[in-house]
Formats: sequence, C-alpha cells, structure tokens
Amino acid sequence: MNSFTHTRLLALLLAAIGLGIFATKVLQLDYPMTPGERTTTWDFEIYLDFDTSNQPVRLETYIPSNSENRRVSQEQFYNGAFGLRLNSREGDGRTAIWTYRYPNDRKVLRYRARLLGETTESPLPESMQRKLRRAAPETENDLERQAFLVWSTDLRRRSADDESLADLVLEEIFVDGDVDEVEALLSPTLARPIARLALARDVLTSQGIPARVANGVYLDSARRRAEIRHWLEYYADGMDRRYFPGPDPSEFFTIWHGTNDFIRAEGISDLDLQVSLQPVNADVSDVVQRMAKDQGSAMQWFSFNRLPITTQLVYQVLVTIPVGILMLVFLRQFIGLQTLGTFMPVLIGIAFRETALVNGVILFTALIALGLAVRFYLEKLKLLLVPRLATVVVFIVICMAVIAQIMANNGQRIGLSISLFPMVILTMTIERMSIAWEEYSATEAIKQGIGSLLVAAAAYLVMTNTHVEYLMFNFPELLLVIMAICLMMGKYTGLRLSELIRFRELDDRK
Amino acid sequence: MIGRYRALRRAGLLGINERNVRLVNELNPRRLIRLVDDKRETKRLANAANIPTPELYGVIANPFHMRHLESYLDKPDGVVIKPANGSQGNGIQVLMEPMRGGWRRSNGQRALLEDIRFHVNNILSGMYSLSGQPDVAMFEYRVKFDEIFNPISFGGVPDIRIIVVRGIPAVAMVRLPTAESDGKANLHKGGVGVGLDLVTGKTLSGMQNGKTTDIHPDTANPLRNFSVPHWDTMLEMAAKAYDVTGLGYLGADIVLDKTKGPLLLELNARPGLAIQVANRIGIRPLLNATLKADIEGMDALARVELAKKLYRNHVPEPTF
Repeated sequence: MNSFTHTRLLALLLAAIGLGIFATKVLQLDYPMTPGERTTTWDFEIYLDFDTSNQPVRLETYIPSNSENRRVSQEQFYNGAFGLRLNSREGDGRTAIWTYRYPNDRKVLRYRARLLGETTESPLPESMQRKLRRAAPETENDLERQAFLVWSTDLRRRSADDESLADLVLEEIFVDGDVDEVEALLSPTLARPIARLALARDVLTSQGIPARVANGVYLDSARRRAEIRHWLEYYADGMDRRYFPGPDPSEFFTIWHGTNDFIRAEGISDLDLQVSLQPVNADVSDVVQRMAKDQGSAMQWFSFNRLPITTQLVYQVLVTIPVGILMLVFLRQFIGLQTLGTFMPVLIGIAFRETALVNGVILFTALIALGLAVRFYLEKLKLLLVPRLATVVVFIVICMAVIAQIMANNGQRIGLSISLFPMVILTMTIERMSIAWEEYSATEAIKQGIGSLLVAAAAYLVMTNTHVEYLMFNFPELLLVIMAICLMMGKYTGLRLSELIRFRELDDRK
Repeated sequence: MIGRYRALRRAGLLGINERNVRLVNELNPRRLIRLVDDKRETKRLANAANIPTPELYGVIANPFHMRHLESYLDKPDGVVIKPANGSQGNGIQVLMEPMRGGWRRSNGQRALLEDIRFHVNNILSGMYSLSGQPDVAMFEYRVKFDEIFNPISFGGVPDIRIIVVRGIPAVAMVRLPTAESDGKANLHKGGVGVGLDLVTGKTLSGMQNGKTTDIHPDTANPLRNFSVPHWDTMLEMAAKAYDVTGLGYLGADIVLDKTKGPLLLELNARPGLAIQVANRIGIRPLLNATLKADIEGMDALARVELAKKLYRNHVPEPTF
C-alpha cells in the first residue's frame, strides 16, 4: 500500500468516526448545532452596597431557586466577612441571609448565578391546579369585609364562568383606574403595583380560583439595573394563566411568590440595590448536558461539561487551537504565506485573545518595532546570542510594564490584558525577524512579519468565533475530522497560490 | 487565476508542496539529511569518494578553540568562514586577504579581528544553524574562481547547482553574484540564475528575482552561450554525491577553481525550485521519467550518460 492510499484511508477512517459521533449527537440526541439556537441563559447578579454603623446587620434577600420550569446554576456568593445562611422557605421561595455583628463602613455583598428562564407556556405547579372552595377573605374590620363581598358578588353576577370572572376582576383593578371599591380595598401597607396584584389574588381566591402573586425578572435584554417585576398567576377553567401588568415578557424568571419585600434589612442605611442581567448566548453547555442526561446517553462519558468550570474554561480555549492550526496549514500550504517560525502565528493569535484583535495588532507591531530597534543597537555591542536574547526579553518586559502604567492612568483595560501577552513569543519573533532582516533583506523580513500577522489574525478570528468555540467544545469528536483534513493537506501536491506569482514567467499563454 | 494554474501545470511546473511530498519525503530519509546538514560530514564523505572539495584549514567548535582563530586566519590567499550547519548561505563570511589591522572582505570592507571573533561566536551559539542548535565554525580554502564567468558576474564566487534525482543529474544552473546580492551567489539575495544545457554545459537564459533576463544586470553582457569547463567532471561529481549520501533528491553546489578545477562546496537535501525559471522549463515530466528510470547496477558515469539521454528527450538542443 503506498503512502498516498494509506493516508487517504486513515483520513477517511478518522473523518468517518468523527462525523459519525457528531451526527449521532445532532440527529439522535438533538444537540443544538449552534449556540443559543434553542435557549439562552442569563447571567444574573444581585449587588448590594450599603452603609453600616457598628450595629449588628441582618440582610435577607430572595434568590432564584430551581423548579421544573426554571434552572439556576453556577451560583456564587461574595460574602466578604459576612456570615451566610440559605433558607428554603415553604411556599414563597429561597432566601439568602447575610449577618455580621460589628460591621463598619460601606460593605458590598454579591450574588451571581446563571439562569435558564421560563415562558408563558411553562405550566404552574400541580398544587395550584385544582379548584378551591369559595370563601370570603379574613379582614380586620367588618366594613372592609362587607365592601369586598358586595363588590365580588357583583363581579360574579356579571360574569359567566371563572375565566370571564378573572378577566373582569383584572379589568376593574388594572385597567379602569377609578373604580372606587378598588381604591378603598387596596392594602395601605403595600406598594401600589403589588397592592393591586394582592387584591386581585384575594378576589380570585375568594371566588374559588387559585391565584398567587409572583415576583421576578423579565429576561428580555441585557440590563445593568433590571427591575424586579410582579405578576399574577392563576388557574381558571382548567388553564394555567398569567397576568402581567404591562406588556407580556417572552421570557421571565420567578424568584419568589407572595407579597413580601425582595429585601429585608436591619442595621444598615443607604442601601443601593442593583440587579443586573446579561444574556449568555455562546454557552448552553449545561442545557445540553441536561438534555443528554435526560436521555441516559452514552455520549456522556466524554464531555468537557463534566470537568470543573475552571478546567472547562481552559479546554474551551484549547480545543479551538487545532482550528487555528488548520487555518495556518491552509494559509501556508495552499496560499503560500510566509511566516516567522512554524506555529508562532497561532501562538500570537492566542495572545490576541487577551488584547482583542486591533489592540493586539497595534501592540504586537509596536513591541516588535521597539524590540528590533534594541536588537540592532545591541548588534553593535557584539554580545553573545543568549545574553543578547535575554536583554531583549528584559527590554520587552519593561516596555510592557510602561504600557500598562500608561494605560492604567488613562483608565484603559488593555494595559491590564497585555501583561499576559507572551513575551517569549515576542522575543523569538524579534530574533527571527532580525536574522531574516540581516541575512535576506528588510523586505523579506517585513514580508514574513506581515505574513505572520495575517496568519495570526486569521487564526484568532476562527479561534474566537462563537460557533467554532461552541462546536469544538461540545463536539470534541470534530478534532478527528480536523486531523483527517490535516492528513489530506499533508499530501497536497498542487501549486500554491504564491507560486502562481513566483513562476509567472513559465506561463506559456501569450 | 485558474487559467494561470492550468497553464503552469501544463508547463510541467513542480511546486514546493509536490517537491516536499514526492521528492524530499519519499527519497530523502531524515537520518541521511543529517549527513548534508553538517558540512564537515559532507566534506569527509566527499573526500572519501575522491570528490574534491575546498581544503579545510580548521574548525572552532567551542570558545576554548578560539585561541586558534588567528592561525586559521593567517592565510595570504584569504579564508572562508562558514557555519557547519548553516542553511541557504547564511553566516558565510569571505575574507579575501589580510590588510592593515584586519582582513579585507569580499565586498572590499575591512573586518577587524574583533568583528570576526563576534561572527564566530554567533556561529557557535547557533544563530545560523537550522534549528538554533549550537554550531561549529569552519575555516576553508578560499576558492579563486575561474575567469570564464568574469564577463557575467560581479564580485564573489559563481557556483554551479546541479539537481540530482536518484543519482541521475536532472537539471542544472549556474548562479552568478551581482552587486545586489553582495557577492553571494544565492538567488534569493538577488543573484542571477542561468540555466545550463545538461548535455553540453552551455548557458541558456537567465533569471533574477523571479524575472527572466538575458543579460547580467551589472555588466550588461549577454548570459547565453558560455561553456562551463570540466562539465562532464562536474556531472560525475554530482552523480557520485548520490552514492556517498544515499539522498535521492539533492542539489550539488560546485565551484570552479582556477587551479584546482571543480570543487564540491556543499550538498543540499532540499534544493529550491527557482532553477525551473532559470531554465524556463517545468521539470515535472523530466522528473517523472527520471523517477521511473531503471538504475540497477549503474555507476556514476553510466548514470550521467542516462541523464543526458533523458534530458535530451525532454529538452531540445539549444540553437544560438
């Protein structure tokens, strides 16, 4: 068997295995092919910033909890010195209780989680799906009780069934703003929107329709200050229903039920509460994970989702590198771009992750230019190779430190990111470039430098593409396909694009 | 673009990818490439097979040997310093003769002892070697080249490159230094490559920087119709290089010394493809024929005869 056939068979085998697993996952297990195709998850954060004055502090806030319809994952608490207790309260939700006996100054507490929301289609719990007995609410004074009964009986008379009764109740309370009975019956202790919802709940319950007030956030767009919303959930004529004051959200997340306040705090002042939301499109891995688990799939045994999150992040970068390398092989073997070093451009491309593309290219070019200048200066001193390289490394570190300082003074973040820019790569690039400069020509050196930058940029773009990241992370079997493509490219004997120019003189067409 | 691709394929052009896959990877096993990457090894093999090479005055393999430096440099006819593992002519310094306070370089500038020591140190630290490995500096006889090429060269040493496939010389060119190439004969530095008729050893047309040319850019003399002296000896030397190294695809670089005749400078396991432009032919058909030829039991001389026959089958006799 000659080496061409051998290579082709091997490539075919690898591609078949890779694509086979990929197809099984996509077609049989319904893995989404693109990030965020089915669902979006949200980064949710509660940020509490408050003053304390050496008094014991107790701060209780509702936090999201799991149910059949919604999901919380990757929870993180930033407590500082505070004690934290989680409390699952029957019926209304889950709370986090932060306590501290002798706090001082301003304190910050944070809660972060990733949310997978629910929609108006999501069913209500079974406990709500049964008719109640009609009963008048318990109120403190008889007058109110009387008014309530008169009003609700009137509503009942004007309606045909539970559904129309509920519609009528909501109409009177929320739409016709000036119904006297409503104004009189609203609870004076609650804020207006919740008071109306509470009244609606009481009326519906008194008429045998299960209802409750729900509180949470609408998952509609990224918000630095998201509002806590309130709405009504009820069950009428065998149907789950929700009533949202204002327009209906397409997706929302219930944090707690009932009319309690979101936060109860003792011993603090000047509370600044911030709830923020951020959609996460690229990563639905935990959704995918759940789907696979539901099906008891054999594909589970090899999945990056089983790894701890920090390790996952590493692999998220790592598995995209082969795609960058594939790009590099293509640009070198088919286009014929010349680069400094073989895989150096991919390494530079990885470095661009820290700086983003434009900043990366600017910094890279600037540092290389500075480094080359020093390198040529050192040439005059006739130093030995290794100490000279070391001098250039030190110089690059100094340059990077200076840039970080300047950027920090200007409040730019890129100064911080550049410190991770791999300087050894930079130094080696400088050294190779200076050799090319001396031994070939300045044009050749610049050509190779630009070639490296182009390849690095191309590799960066494919490696950071969200689809590529998503596919490689969730379908690592595609690595086999990449390997197969590399094998096939290893036997490419055609001309390179650059050779069409190089050998243009042999073009016999006249 | 596609039209150009087809035209070049039709012209029989061999590309880098195909060279690497079909020639270098197939015919040159890694362990053999080592033999020609180290020029000391090449020289030893060549001398053992009676292939003449420039005389080796000495080597400096570590800083301790540096004390010999001045004795190696003490040659009235000059000396060539080169890294044993250098590639593409990088790191080669030619000292023509001693002069006041130093040595005259091939470009006429003066090199001080300090400059030379720095250069040797750079060689030792691996600056010019293929993989950056520590290297060895070689001190060699400086070739006093034959005057035949004087009308069409400018400073430095012209050399003859013969590409040998499975011991059969396939295609050849002479590389001429120019002002642009700073006395070096390397094509990528601006040297002129002139195709050679493999049968007669006569110069054909030339190329510089990828463009065809029929005159030398500095002397303006036509490049055509120079006969390379000792042509058959050179072909035989190149063919023998296959026997001593076993490399199925190699480029033999030969210089023509005024008194010593042809000398093998170095062997290259990955010779480049610009030779096609210099000869204005694509060498794929010729290579395919060479790869198929039966060379069982043939010695170097017989292979040279076979080479001439194959070459003439593909390339017509030049008419001037």
